[in-house]
Amino acid sequence: MDFMTILDIGASALSAERTHLNVISMNLANVNTTQTAEGGPYRRKTVLFKAVPLETPFSREMQTALDRELRGVQVKAVVTDKRPFKRVYDPGHPDADADGYVNYPDINAVEEMANLMTALRTYEANVSAITTAKTMFNKALEIGR
Amino acid sequence: MKSLFDDNIQLTAKVLDLRLMRQNIVVSNLANIKTPGYRARRLEFEEKLQAALDLEKNNKITRTNEKHLPVRFNPQKFGPDFFKDFEPRVVQGEDRVDLDKEMAIMAKNTMLYNALTQVLRKNFEGLKLVISEGGK
Repeated sequence: MDFMTILDIGASALSAERTHLNVISMNLANVNTTQTAEGGPYRRKTVLFKAVPLETPFSREMQTALDRELRGVQVKAVVTDKRPFKRVYDPGHPDADADGYVNYPDINAVEEMANLMTALRTYEANVSAITTAKTMFNKALEIGR
Repeated sequence: MKSLFDDNIQLTAKVLDLRLMRQNIVVSNLANIKTPGYRARRLEFEEKLQAALDLEKNNKITRTNEKHLPVRFNPQKFGPDFFKDFEPRVVQGEDRVDLDKEMAIMAKNTMLYNALTQVLRKNFEGLKLVISEGGK
């Protein structure tokens, strides 16, 4: 267990949060998208997080029981939300069906913004965790000075 | 046995190690703040440290004569306790790890760590002073 472990864990959280931010901004950007490469309107995406042990095959043998309990985080998958589309009556729209309804993705801007804030705060918390670890590291270096 | 380095230097070094471990665990909790099913982990060592210190102070070995060598404090004699939060909780949303609690633990831990490094530094500075001034 050393200082680099802290940085590894922190970095795993930062990259996971960054992926989450990407997915949220993708959702927000596609609020009104009715056509996608897969066909049909855009489907809302969300991320799944997974706690992963921080170990390489070599370190597995060297670690103490305590070290094995440390977990980093990883984005397990970007999953597609199954919620139904929002149907809006707009007969003039090129994507309107026979009844004159257009399918829009059901993305709630408020919900996305709330998720955005959560991701941002988590990111900040992890940044400050890394920063404090760095202060500790510098203080430890001062011992020998 | 008196040596150049006091017992308390060893003790401070050990506590610094434990504080670093605690920092690691807090960061691990923070990283998994939104992971479903993750439970916060904890590291506790203060009580065991106090117990170990008391044990030494009360002198487990009886000294019948003042000239008997005192027992030295051995910082390897105690270790941390590790806790996982097993309490089953079903909470709507993503707040299994308590952010406020983790940040507070982290801040406290860092401050104590920095203070201890200062103590250790002063210790060595004192030693250096004795060496340099004693030679004059």
